[in-house]
Amino acid sequence: MITNHHVSGLMILFTLAIGLLLTLLPLPEALAAARPAFYPATVLFWVLMQPLRFGLVAAWVCGILIDVIYGTPFAEHGLALAVAAYLVVQMRELLWSFPPWQQSLLIAPAIVAYEFVLFWIDGVAGAEVNQWWRWLPVLTTPLIWPLWTFLLERIAEFEVG
Amino acid sequence: MRGFADDDDNKGPLRGRGVSPGIKIVAIAIVSVVLMMVDNAHDALAPVRGTLAIAMQPIQIAAEMPGDVADYLGRYFNRGELIEDNEALNRRVLLLRARLQRLAALEAENERIRALLASASSLDQNVLIARVLSVTPDPYRHRIKLNKGSADGVFKGQALIDANGIMGQVTDVTPLDSRAILITDANHGIPVEINRTGLQTIAQGTGRSNELRLPFLANNADVRNGDLLVSSGLGGRYPAGYPVGRVQNVDHKPGDEFLDVVAEPAAHLNRGREVLLVWTSDTGAKAEKANDEKPSADTADAADGANRADAGSDDR
Repeated sequence: MITNHHVSGLMILFTLAIGLLLTLLPLPEALAAARPAFYPATVLFWVLMQPLRFGLVAAWVCGILIDVIYGTPFAEHGLALAVAAYLVVQMRELLWSFPPWQQSLLIAPAIVAYEFVLFWIDGVAGAEVNQWWRWLPVLTTPLIWPLWTFLLERIAEFEVG
Repeated sequence: MRGFADDDDNKGPLRGRGVSPGIKIVAIAIVSVVLMMVDNAHDALAPVRGTLAIAMQPIQIAAEMPGDVADYLGRYFNRGELIEDNEALNRRVLLLRARLQRLAALEAENERIRALLASASSLDQNVLIARVLSVTPDPYRHRIKLNKGSADGVFKGQALIDANGIMGQVTDVTPLDSRAILITDANHGIPVEINRTGLQTIAQGTGRSNELRLPFLANNADVRNGDLLVSSGLGGRYPAGYPVGRVQNVDHKPGDEFLDVVAEPAAHLNRGREVLLVWTSDTGAKAEKANDEKPSADTADAADGANRADAGSDDR
């Protein structure tokens, strides 16, 4: 567990950049809708693993970066990520007690909250898209969670050993 | 990073400074909603967006790289295809040149006739080729990102065309890149006229990349399958006379007041990586105007143009 180690800000930024890259890679339309939310998963991973360094405000700032890239209303993804991070903070101690594949089930509600906030704000902003595949990341993100957190921990261990 | 951390409710190993996550999330929600409203109403946040966008540039370039490399390798290994392409293009250039000769004469004649009508319009339009950096990763919006920004003179509201017709307009400009909305986005409307009859109407996007809708045509309007829609230039946002689409289906439901008309966009919206940014001759005035207008304004501006008024002359 890297929870007990101090991971540097640079390392966190590096993994976030990787997550963002995977989120932005151009994919065929059919696949793009089902793409796991790598970037939010990375943010939630750090919210979970570095409680003293990476919290709600950090998650919010990370979300705003997506807003800048997507051109969505400023702070839309920020709010969505902060809400998801809030759920993770509430479940933190529970999550710590489970192995990654069981964490997936608990992470799912946070991803649902993330997608729901986006869905809601899009609706209010008049950019509503009510298609069932909009919710696919809710399924795919927990599926990759064990593998993704495993990779992130290995990357972080380069630094903290 | 230190300031970003939050603490659990003063319990367990995380005891410390006392702002609970509950209070934080409420504060964040309020700030977010205010920011979204400000963003929606003003351009006050544009510089913040611009600065952050520049900071994110390397990641976006990196995300585009696999596609670019694949393109490059594809080109490298497909020599035969390239030669074929080249020949086809050469033939096409020849053909277009032949047509252009006629066009030059027509243009000159048109200018003369316009001069006789004492109208100030000019057919001279500058264009700049921009590359599509990315189609919006959000699959629910028809937005694209271009590699030209305000440093190249791109301005908000500028029209975007490809070889076949109008694609959309610029909505956000940062110094190095810009974002554009396509005419098929569900939140977009473009004033058009039916080329055959001159009838003015609005073509709205539907959210599907091969479909436009013309919701404001009265039952007795003269519109047929195959009619070409060209931009009317009303509203001052788009240059006049560019193809927008072709009518595909006209449906009259008895009892309805309006026809149900579907058109297919002329531009190849989801193909090709190069687009043209257009500067019309009155660009200066337009750029100024564009900066304090919202992009959807032209729908409202031209909404009263459903009947053929001789608006052409005062718009130009």
